[in-house]
Amino acid sequence: MRKIIYSIICLLALLPYTAFAILSLELNRGMSGAIPIAIVPFGMNGDTPPQNVSNIITNDLQNSGCFKVYGQSALSQFPTELTMVSSDYFHRLGTDNIVIGKVQAVEGGRYQVSFQLLDVSNSQSKANVDLNKSYTVSGAELRSVAHHISDLVYEQLTGIKGIFSTKLAYVVVQNGRDGKRYILEVSDQDGFNPRPLLNSPEPIMSPSWSPNGKQIAYVSFENRQAEIYLQEVATGYRHLLSKFPGINGAPAWSPDGGKLALVLSKNGSPNIYIMNIYSRELTQLTNDFYINTEPAWSPNGRNLLFTSNRSGGPQIYELNLNTRAINRLSYDGDYNARASYTKDGKHVAMIHRVNGIFHIAVLDLDAGTTKVLTSSGDSASPSVAPNGSMILYDTVDGGKNILGMVSADGRIQLRMPARNGEAQDPAWSPFLS
Amino acid sequence: MKLKQWMNLVLVGCSVLALSACSSSHKPKNNQYAVNDANAAYGARASGLGGDSEFGDQAGGKVLAKRVYYFDFDSNVIHEDDKPAIHANGSYLASHGASQVLLEGHTDPRGSREYNVGLGERRAKSVAQALTTKGSTPTQIRVVSYGAEKLAAAGHNENDYQLDRRVVLVYTKR
Repeated sequence: MRKIIYSIICLLALLPYTAFAILSLELNRGMSGAIPIAIVPFGMNGDTPPQNVSNIITNDLQNSGCFKVYGQSALSQFPTELTMVSSDYFHRLGTDNIVIGKVQAVEGGRYQVSFQLLDVSNSQSKANVDLNKSYTVSGAELRSVAHHISDLVYEQLTGIKGIFSTKLAYVVVQNGRDGKRYILEVSDQDGFNPRPLLNSPEPIMSPSWSPNGKQIAYVSFENRQAEIYLQEVATGYRHLLSKFPGINGAPAWSPDGGKLALVLSKNGSPNIYIMNIYSRELTQLTNDFYINTEPAWSPNGRNLLFTSNRSGGPQIYELNLNTRAINRLSYDGDYNARASYTKDGKHVAMIHRVNGIFHIAVLDLDAGTTKVLTSSGDSASPSVAPNGSMILYDTVDGGKNILGMVSADGRIQLRMPARNGEAQDPAWSPFLS
Repeated sequence: MKLKQWMNLVLVGCSVLALSACSSSHKPKNNQYAVNDANAAYGARASGLGGDSEFGDQAGGKVLAKRVYYFDFDSNVIHEDDKPAIHANGSYLASHGASQVLLEGHTDPRGSREYNVGLGERRAKSVAQALTTKGSTPTQIRVVSYGAEKLAAAGHNENDYQLDRRVVLVYTKR
């Protein structure tokens, strides 16, 4: 019977796009002083391609909160080539940055997508060409190439690597006729193209991406106990990594991809361990009767953050993997948990309780100060984007769990409600490819 | 067990009916002594029934059947009024060596998910400890913590949170 269930779960894991939760990305608050940019609708020849590339770029840049985008509805001139661009027009519109391009159907059912990023700030009314690229892709790759163009434009104008080609993993909970269904899903960073990795009648928790983005570790209760699996994103193939008596929880990949930090309570209470993925060798790092959980690796792989209630309530601690010394990091407030480093290793995103409400906050390790980023209902599960600019989390909105994104400085806020069910426990992928 | 109780009731009921039938047909209607005798006989049965071991089991059955135990916020201390039920199940396990239970630990949905798994486990282990004080062996008890992943109530308010903070005792082998 178990074998049958196992194969059904694996089969479901291989299903292509389904009607499962499609996240919709809604910008609540953008940055003041956003960079103005015009995204001119790309020229087309022949039939309308299956995706509108300039629309996708517009949404990407607008939703980043860093740009004020002049798109189709704001424009009355639609140049598709450099010679057609009137600098005066765009000056009067209010932007020096312009993206123009074309999507042309070519043989074999493919498309040639070409674009140029122009800068008309110099007074000679001649445009500088900052970026000029061309790609030939299939119809199914049009969204990906649009996100790639967004990445290039974003990095050119902000100096920061873009995250428009990254992915999100999260758990969807739906009420079915026979009880709840739990679905581990992966979607594009804008919520499109959701794909289920696992569909189960029992809870799924704590997805964690491998550093190369090819695998996800997670906790599954499908066998009525906590187990940790590693699953390949592309194939759906998975194997069981940890199934000790008691808690098997909070898996976290090391930056070198060879180890998993995890939580086991097989010796009586939850403690932090490291497992070598290939040899399965276990190393115990904490050894007491407190609740020790939620390990997170520093970018250089030398330290682990973790949550522990050894001082009374949950607080954040740092363990040096070399010396095994443990330092407390959080002193503000009586509940701090689920910490993770930002990419520069100088800040820690975490759950921080204020006046009984749980918020996402960032702890500045140098200054020792805590900055609260969210102001809505109880929030949890913060996950930092690979470029450090945004934090993905789950929160309660109108009585339902939804995902949200907030910039590391708190100024940009987005909400991502699931259209079918509730979404929770998200994890931002690393940079892919 | 239930069938035995019903049979007892039926048997007793029949005996009571038989007694009252006897008393009315063999004694004059206005004989108070006869009526008193019949009443006394009925009364004796009634008090006998109250002390009878089968009915003791029915009350015991109710205690055994109470299998969801609730906890205060951030606490794994067992409530006083849950102790009789937990102890009754512990005694049952002690006297039925082949029986097995699963204790599920749960929390309300606030705060960190994995930390809540730790809290849920502490609650379930408190109940496991209380079961073993009555003689059940640790191998009869399995503990799983779902943290906040299987809420009892869907709302985000104090009433629903109270229903979420619980340990559920499930017999996996009677």
